[in-house]
Amino acid sequence: MLTLARRVLTALGLAGLIAALFRLRGSGGVPPQTGGWKEITDADLT
Amino acid sequence: MRLALVGLGTTGSHIARQLIQAPVTELSLYDIDRRRLERVVPAVRAVAHDVEVVTGQPDPADPADVVVLAGPVGTHAKPAASMVAAGSHIVSISDDPAEVTQLLALDRSARDRQRALVVGAGFAPGLSCLLARFAADCLDSVEVINVYKAGTGGPACARQHHRALRSDGHDWVEGGWVLRRGGSGRDLAWFPEPYGARDCYRGALSSPVLLQRVFPNAQRISARMSATRRDRLTSRMPMLRRPHDDGGPGGLRVEVRGRSGRAVETIILGAIDHPAVAGGTVAAVTALAAGAGRAPQGANGIAAWPEPKELLGSLRRKGIRVASFDGQLDVMAVAPRR
Repeated sequence: MLTLARRVLTALGLAGLIAALFRLRGSGGVPPQTGGWKEITDADLT
Repeated sequence: MRLALVGLGTTGSHIARQLIQAPVTELSLYDIDRRRLERVVPAVRAVAHDVEVVTGQPDPADPADVVVLAGPVGTHAKPAASMVAAGSHIVSISDDPAEVTQLLALDRSARDRQRALVVGAGFAPGLSCLLARFAADCLDSVEVINVYKAGTGGPACARQHHRALRSDGHDWVEGGWVLRRGGSGRDLAWFPEPYGARDCYRGALSSPVLLQRVFPNAQRISARMSATRRDRLTSRMPMLRRPHDDGGPGGLRVEVRGRSGRAVETIILGAIDHPAVAGGTVAAVTALAAGAGRAPQGANGIAAWPEPKELLGSLRRKGIRVASFDGQLDVMAVAPRR
């Protein structure tokens, strides 16, 4: 029983460590800064 | 110009409202539902100061210049055939693929009499076909057209939407029609803001039929309609409650991919509006253009319109707003593989 608990805690700890590494070192990139819906005006229809 | 309008439901009423503001000398109104006719006609007469409003079915012995068919699906093909033969231009808002095919089969009859039979002159098909044509004109060749629509007009439109979701539809794929099961092919489509995103599914939609005639060399043409989980679950059953009087607002999204020079480009256009209002405006504007001799002869969808920019401009002056989605162009323009 103790062995199982130790293994579970080790697995959770490792998962947390890896997640923290990704969280701290990972780059989410920059979301698009341009674009979107633009109304078609009379100028587009000439 | 003498016009006849058959069908005074939600969309038909909006068509009448647009027509009485136009240079029309006589507007004949008819609906199979007598109570609706008695309700709508006085309301139209009250605001139609320069137009003589009469009632009665279109008469082949005394044909109107233009007949607008705005009744429920299944009521368009027969009067269209008789009134084209009598010499009227016809505008139909039917969105049922079988009926659209029947109307397109009247092409020879309309051409022989030098008359226009405008098929699918509503929101989708209708405005959707016009947007596809407008986008296609920006490209050298068209490879893929995807149409998405959301929302419904009046109760008849909602019933057709319900039927379409449970019925099989056809996509144009690599030179042939492929049968697609209604309610399949979920695709998240982003409509102009604030309408946002909706899950869209295949169904018995007529935009591909109309677009393929204009773009026979396209590799793929498909159409999808928005639906919720409840819509899909109940689509095989009769409608559980009476539809709303107006199922708007709705949205349109039309994606056209093709080549511009050596680059592959995707043009995305969209619109949000009440489908009954926008569809009614499209029908009225095309009817007035047909009466003025500016519609193409024969049976055609709006994608075959000779001057799509002029038609879009007319709709814009009536308050129909269209938008384009501009992404990061350097990402969208991909050089073709060698």
